[in-house]
Amino acid sequence: MNLHFDKVIPHTLNDIQQKENGVWNASFSLSKGEKIILSAESGKGKTTFVHLLAGIRKDYEGTIRFDEKDIRKLSLFQWTQLRAHQLSFIFQDLQLFGDLSVEENLVLKNERLPTFTNTKLKEMIAQVDLEDKWNTPCNLLSFGQQQRVAIVRALIQPFDWLIMDEPFSHLDEKNKDLALTLILNRINELQAGMILTSLGENQLLEVDKKLYL
Amino acid sequence: MIEKILFKKQSKVQLYIAILGTFIGFIFLTTSVHFFIRINESKKNEDVLKGKAIVIQKKVSSLSTLNLVKTDFNPDEIEKLNSQDFTLEVQPIINNSFDISIQTDSKLLPYFRSDIFLQAVDARFLDVSSIKWQWDENDAYVPIILPREFLVMLNTFANARGLPQVSEELAKSVSFQFNLSGNSQKTSKKVKIIGFTGDISSILVPPSFLNYGNDKFGDQQSLKTTQLLVSIQEGTFGKLEQYMQSHGLEAKESSLVIGKLISVTSSLLLILIGISALILLLSSLVLIQYTQVLIAHNHYEIRTLLRIGYSPQKITKIITKYFILIIAFTALFSCIAFVFLKITIDKKLLDSGLTISKTLTLQSGLVLLFVVLIYLVLNYLNTKKEVFNAEESKS
Repeated sequence: MNLHFDKVIPHTLNDIQQKENGVWNASFSLSKGEKIILSAESGKGKTTFVHLLAGIRKDYEGTIRFDEKDIRKLSLFQWTQLRAHQLSFIFQDLQLFGDLSVEENLVLKNERLPTFTNTKLKEMIAQVDLEDKWNTPCNLLSFGQQQRVAIVRALIQPFDWLIMDEPFSHLDEKNKDLALTLILNRINELQAGMILTSLGENQLLEVDKKLYL
Repeated sequence: MIEKILFKKQSKVQLYIAILGTFIGFIFLTTSVHFFIRINESKKNEDVLKGKAIVIQKKVSSLSTLNLVKTDFNPDEIEKLNSQDFTLEVQPIINNSFDISIQTDSKLLPYFRSDIFLQAVDARFLDVSSIKWQWDENDAYVPIILPREFLVMLNTFANARGLPQVSEELAKSVSFQFNLSGNSQKTSKKVKIIGFTGDISSILVPPSFLNYGNDKFGDQQSLKTTQLLVSIQEGTFGKLEQYMQSHGLEAKESSLVIGKLISVTSSLLLILIGISALILLLSSLVLIQYTQVLIAHNHYEIRTLLRIGYSPQKITKIITKYFILIIAFTALFSCIAFVFLKITIDKKLLDSGLTISKTLTLQSGLVLLFVVLIYLVLNYLNTKKEVFNAEESKS
């Protein structure tokens, strides 16, 4: 699934001067398999951009199309189908279930569209150095640990695009590398694309395109 | 897993109030519908005289005994009664003007003979088929409706002789005989009982038989209308009573009392049905509000489920399934409570002398099912709307 943007600008950013090479008010396309970094200063609309692609916000002008389909015309049911099969997100606020354990958060996601066995889920958690937190409720984890759980949860579904909103903000270099390795392996396995907002320099990541806001 | 997330944060007190209201509403509704049907059909079932038909006559006083006041109705009086707004129909009851006696004609019953008095009533006032309620000279037997007092008298006689009592069913299955005489002629006719009445003290026969007897054996000059059969509109017993008081008329007390009892009870039960509907409306509102509060408390959870790919239909289905269980169990327990309540009320009514059918009415079950379905549809629509709203609201 390819993403097409045609002069998109959120209503809240209408009055703000936009960069010439920026994403807002521009027309461009993103092809499946591309690795894209979206960088901007704080308050320029990175989270808004992610929310537009997630169908959470609809207060914008212009047109966004998934392949040929205008996303304004998608029903809630169609959005949930896309979120289950083609789009996976790591939101800035993570959106985990705090009362559920790490295992339960992952199983809940996996039950929606069974993709991995429980053993595989546990392996993935071990890869981000959280195996001892398997039964711990998420609200007892640090934000950095929760970020790693959210990353694993986003990977346990099929997708064409993985869209991440500052997923490493609370990770140290070691954990950032562990998480990024897991992400890249899964993306390569699925030949999917990714959009990542605000990443510092990382040698592991070769990007195809950089976007600015 | 989803159930664990969605039903963890809930205000149980509000749920219990809604369940209690629904439970009480269901019991009231099924009970009132059941007894409304049973009470209204009780007179019909017990008596061949239709529920809203009453036999009336002029009050007998000392003056009438001395022949100073007439006890028969003239055509103007009949027409006046017929024109009242509470009256559906008035029919003069025809009497016999010849000598007649009845005797048992079966080895199953002891020999018994008694002079009797006949009256004729049209089939449309009776709960018997018009085919059964007709007679001509070639028929094998005369269909009759017997006053219950007559059977009581027959049983008193049998008891005194040390013979077994005769039930209504047995009396219907054995033969009796009429002996008619007058104008220097006499004849006998086989008779078959087709029903019983508690409202008329004479034996009822089809009009064609009485006309035949009066023509052949009777004295046409002595035919007078002393009783009228009045069919009135539902719930107008009070008006009829007022009319009778102001015109010196009376009805057989039991008929009027039962009629009034049924009329008042029906009205009370209708009010109870209304109250039940109100209780159910209020409890459904509490339940709907409870669902809204439940979804509002779980706004984050529902929104997150939608964002990780769970469809709104799936979430709606899980919440609806939860309420289906609650409502189904409430309906089940209210059915059990209704059965116990019904048994108690049946016993009370029986002790008070009112016999009604003890079987459960299909209609009360259907009403309950209908209300349960309304509840579920309302709850489903409300849940669906709230789940969709959870996604629409700002993140």
